[in-house]
Amino acid sequence: MTDGAQSPDNWASNREHLEVEVPEGAVDPKLTGRRLSGALQGFGQMWQKTYQVRLDGADVTPEHVIAEWKANYGEFWPDNQHFYAPIAGIEPGEVGVINASQGPITLSTGVMVLYADERSWTYMTPEGHVFAGWVTFSSHEDADDVVVAQVQLLIRASDPIFEMGFKFGAGRIEDRIWQHTLRSVASHFDVDAEPTTEIVCVDKKRQWKNFGNVKLNLAFRSMGRSLISPFRGR
Amino acid sequence: MPNQPLGYTIEEGDDSMVVRLTGDIDGSGAAVFREITEATQGPVILDFTAVGFINSSGIALIVGFLAATRAVHQPVSACGLTSHYRHIFEITRLSDFMDIYDDETAALAVSR
Repeated sequence: MTDGAQSPDNWASNREHLEVEVPEGAVDPKLTGRRLSGALQGFGQMWQKTYQVRLDGADVTPEHVIAEWKANYGEFWPDNQHFYAPIAGIEPGEVGVINASQGPITLSTGVMVLYADERSWTYMTPEGHVFAGWVTFSSHEDADDVVVAQVQLLIRASDPIFEMGFKFGAGRIEDRIWQHTLRSVASHFDVDAEPTTEIVCVDKKRQWKNFGNVKLNLAFRSMGRSLISPFRGR
Repeated sequence: MPNQPLGYTIEEGDDSMVVRLTGDIDGSGAAVFREITEATQGPVILDFTAVGFINSSGIALIVGFLAATRAVHQPVSACGLTSHYRHIFEITRLSDFMDIYDDETAALAVSR
């Protein structure tokens, strides 16, 4: 790690509530005023999911991988998911907007860059997001000196509705998103490699005291917007 | 500046166990936190006085530790955080789940 990687400036400055500048073309997730929500604030079981791909044969450094990944982040996602990067780039405190389509519904949400350095960055989710927690993107050299790109989630479903969704397939959709992302990252460096997936249940208990998170559910809001949009024109 | 490996010592008091952390807390400290989880019981005070840098992977380890201790109703508090990392604990809302004190004396006074 370099000196720059150990600076307090790598962290987002303290803010109680989010402020979001919605990029042109994005569906506004209405996140302004919402608080951030970590894995301790969610409802469901807590999971650590680690996805990795080895960039075997690529002449790259972890710093190079992270720089390219940040610059092309949205392009590495599946086609039905759109990430509008913050205008200032993936920098601590900036908020990116996500529009994810599933059939006629477009879920609009976002994430804040909690932390960023030359070898990693972390998103933290807002209240009402599908899951509450952190997603950390990083790159390192493994024991064989091969550069590895990694996505690691520490999450729990935000509320009972999303927890049910995870049980009925949303968890696998989540897995496919990050496996697709890592395949795209590898492909960007001309590497054809299959990602590995490791899933660990960190906390089996559901946090019933957070049942009320359901009132902040962004999917309900997005669903309502999708249903009424044909009647009001766009 | 190269990373300082994470280390720890544990002091068993009458009312709580004080875990004195040293070095930097990043993803490489996973095994250390597993050891601490296994080695502690009852109320725990995490002393960050001798911790240098914490990155987001390090925060994730602390979250995992908190989840494990909460599962067995083991209260955890923290002390010795710099003002910067106090802010980080507030942003990440770790502070919702652990009391934070200026120093070990203050933390021990409350645990008695």
